[in-house]
Amino acid sequence: MIAVTNLVKQFGAVTAVDEVSLCVKPGEIHGFLGPNGAGKTTTIKMIAGLLQPTAGRVVVNGHDMAEEPEAAKSSLGFIPDRPYLYEKLTAAEFLRFHGGLYGIADDDIDGRVRGMLDLFELRRWEDELVESFSHGMKQRLVMSAAFLHRPKAVVVDEPMVGLDPRGARLIKDVFRRMSEQGVAILMSTHTLEVADEMSHRVSIINGGRLIAQGTVNEVRSLAGGQDHLTAVFLKLTGGAGLQEIDEVA
Amino acid sequence: MTNAPFTFLLVPQLWSMRNRARQRERGDLLRAGVFGGIGLGVCGALFIGAYWLTTKLAAFEEFGDYLLRLGLSWLFLTFLGFLAFSGVVASLSTFFLSDDLRLLVAAPIPRGRLFLARFTRTVGQASWMVAMFLTPVLLGVGAARCAPFTYYAAAVLTVVPFATIPVALGAGATLLLVNVLPARRARDVLMLVSLLFAAALVLILRFIEPERLLRVESLPDIADFFANLQSPVMPLLPSFWAGELLFAELQGGRDPLHGAALWTTALACTVLLGAADRRWHFAGYSRSQESAKARVNQLRAIDAIARALPLSTVRRELVVKDVKVFLRDVNQWLQLLPLCALVLLYLYNFRTLDLERIPYMSGFLKNVYALVNLAMAGFVLATVAVRFVFPAVSAEGAAFWIVRASPVSLRDFLWSKFWTGLLPLLIFIEGLTIAANELMGIDPWLKALAIVAIAFMTVALVGLAVGLGARYPRFGADPTQAAGSYGGVSFMVLAVLYVIVMVALLGWPSSMWLFSRLRGIRMSSVRELLMIASLASAAALSVAIPWMAMRSGVVALDRMRR
Repeated sequence: MIAVTNLVKQFGAVTAVDEVSLCVKPGEIHGFLGPNGAGKTTTIKMIAGLLQPTAGRVVVNGHDMAEEPEAAKSSLGFIPDRPYLYEKLTAAEFLRFHGGLYGIADDDIDGRVRGMLDLFELRRWEDELVESFSHGMKQRLVMSAAFLHRPKAVVVDEPMVGLDPRGARLIKDVFRRMSEQGVAILMSTHTLEVADEMSHRVSIINGGRLIAQGTVNEVRSLAGGQDHLTAVFLKLTGGAGLQEIDEVA
Repeated sequence: MTNAPFTFLLVPQLWSMRNRARQRERGDLLRAGVFGGIGLGVCGALFIGAYWLTTKLAAFEEFGDYLLRLGLSWLFLTFLGFLAFSGVVASLSTFFLSDDLRLLVAAPIPRGRLFLARFTRTVGQASWMVAMFLTPVLLGVGAARCAPFTYYAAAVLTVVPFATIPVALGAGATLLLVNVLPARRARDVLMLVSLLFAAALVLILRFIEPERLLRVESLPDIADFFANLQSPVMPLLPSFWAGELLFAELQGGRDPLHGAALWTTALACTVLLGAADRRWHFAGYSRSQESAKARVNQLRAIDAIARALPLSTVRRELVVKDVKVFLRDVNQWLQLLPLCALVLLYLYNFRTLDLERIPYMSGFLKNVYALVNLAMAGFVLATVAVRFVFPAVSAEGAAFWIVRASPVSLRDFLWSKFWTGLLPLLIFIEGLTIAANELMGIDPWLKALAIVAIAFMTVALVGLAVGLGARYPRFGADPTQAAGSYGGVSFMVLAVLYVIVMVALLGWPSSMWLFSRLRGIRMSSVRELLMIASLASAAALSVAIPWMAMRSGVVALDRMRR
């Protein structure tokens, strides 16, 4: 479970995240939506323990990120929008190192690495250097790493960017299976169809503040019962003019 | 969370090094040969120098021992400041800006273990150069004194804590700095200060005229110099402890007091820095991710100057883009500071050249030095070109698709790089050559020859650098590292060969002409023809090289499109 309470982040005079609160329950996929520069990545970085909040609290599976960062991070899987990979390591070496960071025992690691490489269809390339991977393969490798230690909660920033339809389908299936197994998933995305298709609940952030939260249907009703999440999103975030242009066209 | 020791966090670097060593890339052998050869040469020279000096000092018995003792202490003192500063710069990268921190900070690694891993890496990065320098020097001293094995073991056990102490202080300063300034701004400030520091150090070392050390008659002056520099603070510094400990070992004795002082101080510095890191690192790391709002200088003067040049719109825009990108990238233009120090040293060396001490030969020697100056200027030119001109195509980086997708011919693109590189380099090297020749007071005919010759050499070397840079581009790599690539090393090898050939082609007719004038003999017409042919060959070579290199560069870039 991920619980965020009154989270604030200020960069000098600019408030990038302003009193954001949200809760992702076990087994829930929570879509985190917002236009560019709304504060999604900043919020996610604070939840992952990469950025110090100016105020507020992040609790992951009962562990406060500020008080017990190691325990909180142990049960969290994090998939950043611009992941760092050691280019001169092979896929298997990278996963083994990642497993070591999360304390996976030596006698367990090889089985888990093989399992993840199979799941994300990377087994054929396990002994290839990461530098030779395509963007989609790197993305799948990062996801393999995030799920390797069997986290109870996952935070993922823009998971579908650069993936082909087969890759996107695979990721959606994996997320659904993980959610069925009780993993709480907070997923930031620009792809509203993905959020519509996969999320149990959504939060929409704009200008650093949450402007809507609830199930997809509840959010639709907030925007006057619009059918498509795109229309709801544009209406709530101030892009309705663009929608009108589309409709006229 | 991980139970692995902190050394586990160094595993990716080790595995990456192993995998890199297994990969065979073109030019590995050439690079290893050139850089390994240079490295071995420098180490050999340091070893011989240290051995020679220690043997000479041994002839002065107690006075020699006194000087050796002082010398060891001063050797370590020289490195103390360097290590502290190096620690500041290295820790900024390892603790705050390194890309893999995004992965490691998000992982459940106990703070203390992450600190120890990063600090180990910082000490390694900050001190490897000092260790490389100290190894042949201390080996040379030990060999000259027939030191026992324990001396060498003590040397290793001394260098480790000696390096740890100043690097820890430097890392502490960085921790403080990053909590005050955003890390990226701090990096720019540090880059500026570190380059000023390096340039000043080189200049000071040159201006104290170390060649005086080679004269036995100046030994008492040197002793006075060292003695005057002694201060009550000296015995409190780790450099003094390291010097005393090694001197005791050289004498066959032991100095556990100074050894204990070194190790306990190193340990205390590490523990204190670890505590400070636990308290302030995360706040500093958070700040380092804030992108400071850049103050952008529009550099409108560049646009105005470019408009005044007789260039097509395409070439003009390419030139303006290159100049603006260069001037706005602090890392790029700060590299000019060491270059300025190099120029000052170059001119200073010619100013202090005392050729009048050889009265019969001074006139002839001065003119020979004009050719030496030409060769030196050629080598300086090659060094500057490999750093600033060779990476010009690689510097396009991931943005190269813009040029490739636009209706700009690759020939136009590459020639714009040529002109952008040529103009500043020509002004710089002509100024340097003229000033050095003026300082030496050489023959007017040779002055004129040097001015024309260096202009041809600039055209040739800039063309060669741009052409090879296009032939061996490294779009993904840091442009400042391009000099070490296969293409960069190949350029340097070819440039040095070209400079040698040019000096030979120009030197022979010049010396013939000078001799005939000195002796008042008229040259035969065959010899005159040969002289003209030699000068014409130099000119033809200087035109052919850039033309071929540029053509080859355009073909290579064009091949990328297919």
